[in-house]
Amino acid sequence: MEKQGKAIAMISGGLDSTLALALVRRQGIEVKAINFYTGFCITETQRRKGGRPDGTVPRNEALRAAADLEVEIEYVDISDAGYLDMLVHPRYGYGANANPCVDCRIFMMARAREIMEREGADFVFTGEVLGQRPKSQRRDTLRIIERESGLDGRLLRPLSAKLLPPTIPEREGVVDRERLLDISGRSRLRQIALAKEWGILDYPQPAGGCCYLTDESFGRKFFDILGQREELGEERRIAREDVVLLSTGRHFRLSPRAKLIVGRTEVENAILEGFAEGRARLEVRGVLGAVALVEGEPTWEARVLAARILARYGKGKDAARVEVEWREGDLVETYAVEPERDEGRIEALRI
Amino acid sequence: MTAPLDLPLPERTLDASGRLCPFPIVEAAKAVKALSDGSVLLVIATDPGIAIDMPMWCKATRHEHIATFREGERWKSYVRKRAR
Repeated sequence: MEKQGKAIAMISGGLDSTLALALVRRQGIEVKAINFYTGFCITETQRRKGGRPDGTVPRNEALRAAADLEVEIEYVDISDAGYLDMLVHPRYGYGANANPCVDCRIFMMARAREIMEREGADFVFTGEVLGQRPKSQRRDTLRIIERESGLDGRLLRPLSAKLLPPTIPEREGVVDRERLLDISGRSRLRQIALAKEWGILDYPQPAGGCCYLTDESFGRKFFDILGQREELGEERRIAREDVVLLSTGRHFRLSPRAKLIVGRTEVENAILEGFAEGRARLEVRGVLGAVALVEGEPTWEARVLAARILARYGKGKDAARVEVEWREGDLVETYAVEPERDEGRIEALRI
Repeated sequence: MTAPLDLPLPERTLDASGRLCPFPIVEAAKAVKALSDGSVLLVIATDPGIAIDMPMWCKATRHEHIATFREGERWKSYVRKRAR
């Protein structure tokens, strides 16, 4: 006999988690949705920078999904030191880029377990699909995530449930296993058909995720900054401000101990201004140009190189000489440099 | 989105200026929780994302979205807490 239950839904607002949410709701189970804020969401960052290049502002899809299905949603901010520490010391390693997906899932699900207990809910569920992702959604990995998060038996994957062992809420009759699904693999055809059948028409196109950590270019910068810290004899760490800076501007490796970041837009220049403390701040004098920051311990050669690259990204790029202001705390210097015109050299330094 | 003529007097005003999405909503959720049913919360924000987020959050949480509009550099959003 079925009994009324309560569940915590981990949703991103993508097609799979929206369907999982609808599937559990259709069983009459009370659902509270949660969405984790990690600081690495590409969509969120685009919104902060004023929207997409075409001028449109992307929606928060988790909020949209919860609104469409009228499910209460809570944002959970996990962007603090514990999460950042996990990112640089993942027990289960990285995926193709800076993405420790297994450790990240364990981290999030452990937090979901705390919320489940706080809310007096029976289980947690996700939109994960067996075999959809090469590492984090393999059968053995799904089991590891469940065990390590402390959600043993109380983590339901409604879209693939019939292919997985019955969970406690299924065995206790809180969830009707017969009405769950047996989807596996990378194809989304069944999900798209189901969405149509259930009248779920407004969902983002599956596009390989919204996380900077899975992005190749971001991953290069992520490991580069860890490399610089090692070179400088500092501990292996990523700070909150690194997360913002790694997704802002053009990045150039000046030397093993120094890095240059050049703003690409007015919004990015403003963001860089906010992080000038503890770094050198560079700006071209007399002509319109970008703002730049230099991190680390630049040699004289690295300083000149930084000034030359910055000069190339402004209205003075064709001038014979450009004055670049170098400001570090109260110390202000001016470098007169020729803008760097060797694109090959610039590209070789780009991170 | 212009300001409606007839806006209620808010019981609480939350200034989330300078905070980026989704934090104005996170703060609004905490503030609404502390209010009594039927009370009105005014959220002031500078992140334009609130114009998209607040109506959706209200729909999800079944609070009444009264209005969200721009006033100079800031956005104002009025929400009435609905009884659970």
